[in-house]
Amino acid sequence: MVVLRKTITYIIIILLALAWLLPIFSVIQAAVKSPEQFNSSSFFQFPTKFALFDNFKKAIQQWKLQEFYLNSIIYSVVGGLITIITASMAAFSIVRLKPKFNFVLFLIIYSGTLFPFQMYLIPLYRIFNQTGLYDTKTGMILVYSALAIPFSLFVYRGFYSTIPKEIEDAAMIDGCNSFQLYTKIFLPQSIAPTAVVALFQMSWIWNDLLFGMVLTRTGNARPVMVSLASMSGVSGGIIPYIMSGVIFTSLPTILLFILLRRYFISGMVLSVAGD
Amino acid sequence: MKYHNKFVSYLYILPSFLLVFLLLLVPMFQNIYYSFFQWNGIAEPVFNGFSNYIQLFKDSNFFTSLINTILWVVITLIFPVFGGLLIAVFLRGIKFGNFFKSIFYIPITISFVATGIIWNYMYSRQIGVLNTFLDLIGLDKISWLVNVPLNTFSLLITWTWQQLGINMVLFLMGLTSIPVEQTEAATIEGASKWQTFIHITLPMLRPITTVVIVMATANSFKVFDLIYVMTRGGPYRSSETLAVTMFRETFTMSNMGYGAAISVVLSIIVVAISAIYLRTMVKKDLLYY
Repeated sequence: MVVLRKTITYIIIILLALAWLLPIFSVIQAAVKSPEQFNSSSFFQFPTKFALFDNFKKAIQQWKLQEFYLNSIIYSVVGGLITIITASMAAFSIVRLKPKFNFVLFLIIYSGTLFPFQMYLIPLYRIFNQTGLYDTKTGMILVYSALAIPFSLFVYRGFYSTIPKEIEDAAMIDGCNSFQLYTKIFLPQSIAPTAVVALFQMSWIWNDLLFGMVLTRTGNARPVMVSLASMSGVSGGIIPYIMSGVIFTSLPTILLFILLRRYFISGMVLSVAGD
Repeated sequence: MKYHNKFVSYLYILPSFLLVFLLLLVPMFQNIYYSFFQWNGIAEPVFNGFSNYIQLFKDSNFFTSLINTILWVVITLIFPVFGGLLIAVFLRGIKFGNFFKSIFYIPITISFVATGIIWNYMYSRQIGVLNTFLDLIGLDKISWLVNVPLNTFSLLITWTWQQLGINMVLFLMGLTSIPVEQTEAATIEGASKWQTFIHITLPMLRPITTVVIVMATANSFKVFDLIYVMTRGGPYRSSETLAVTMFRETFTMSNMGYGAAISVVLSIIVVAISAIYLRTMVKKDLLYY
């Protein structure tokens, strides 16, 4: 009876795991086949030659992926850096310098995580058109930073309140001013919260579709996911090209995840508790 | 001991505050304001009171969208959430648990847009992988993303594929924190596996379960990318949810005021869920693992 139950459990788990792997396998298989082979061979035939890089070259030529790719790298890196600096500074002041209304200020900034993005789209679209920020990299960096700051502030604030006060007192006796306290004591200890912020906010920026669609129009500022989404029309397009595009546009977030995966769980719990 | 002046301590907060205030808070209030106007995005907005909100109740597209959104939430709680819990419990007790865990985990690293494109290929009528398998065992091909209501369920299969891993990992984390002695004691006293699960494991998982349920519910209310990439909400607006309807009314049909009203309704729902959650928990000990 026990053996039977164990066997059934294993069979179910193995079948599910295979079902979970099937899409991944299908993508890789389609991306590696040349378009000719993809059209002439069945799904169950293995690729005869490795055409992944040729496919990707064609995808770049056809959809100018490199422009959008570069845009999104700029957004993730610059937006991520702005977020890390501004949010950690604000958290430092709120936790340690404790000016009047520090909690109210925290709540005001933090309320930015509460509402669905749809709440901001129409006014941002209008403001951007009026101020000339529409379809510019500057505009996109500003929006991405603003959207990433509330969660990041929450993460830094939680972390900084665990740093013992004695360290601060010692630094003050040594004659540190508040800026030195921030740059010499707080920032160097911020590896864990910065990893969480980098992992979640940089991959969120990279993966964004909505703001990219609404606030940009040309390759000048369009992020990569908008161009990826436009590759797959109703007509289908050339599957091996599209799938090679899927793989190459997914690489940055996969790498980020592999590098910082041990911060994934703590970040997950924070993002949930923060929602 | 004072070593800083008050003015400087506000300077540290200023950049964050300005960005959030100007790009999120001001727009949010403007959005509420616009929801009381009729406006096509080009001409001057015309005030029309609550008409946009009254129109929602008469709009059959909005009704379909609302029903779909509720369907998304309910199915999300069944498959990615409860399914994630069951798999987490199964994986705890078997060999190679970690190996299987990492398989269910893979989709987490892939964007919604990429996921949507991958599954468009899986579901494609002519060359799709799923129809290839159906063909192999002699069944008819299926139009996964065209037939109503099958298209919404097809989207939900993709959603489950994406989301189950996150929930499973959170449940596994909760399960590891349950002391083994508890379940052992119950087994010794003659409780069956099912009884142990219901009376010991589930109650002890409560904090993490609340977290998962609130997160999954809020996310399924907000879902946009996946539907937009896979069906554009179609055919004939049959697979739209509130977020997609808002986008379509606003940026495709230029009903800016009406779109704003839909986003306000969506926000009220999401904020209400978060509020229930904030009231019932936010235990400090859950925040730092």
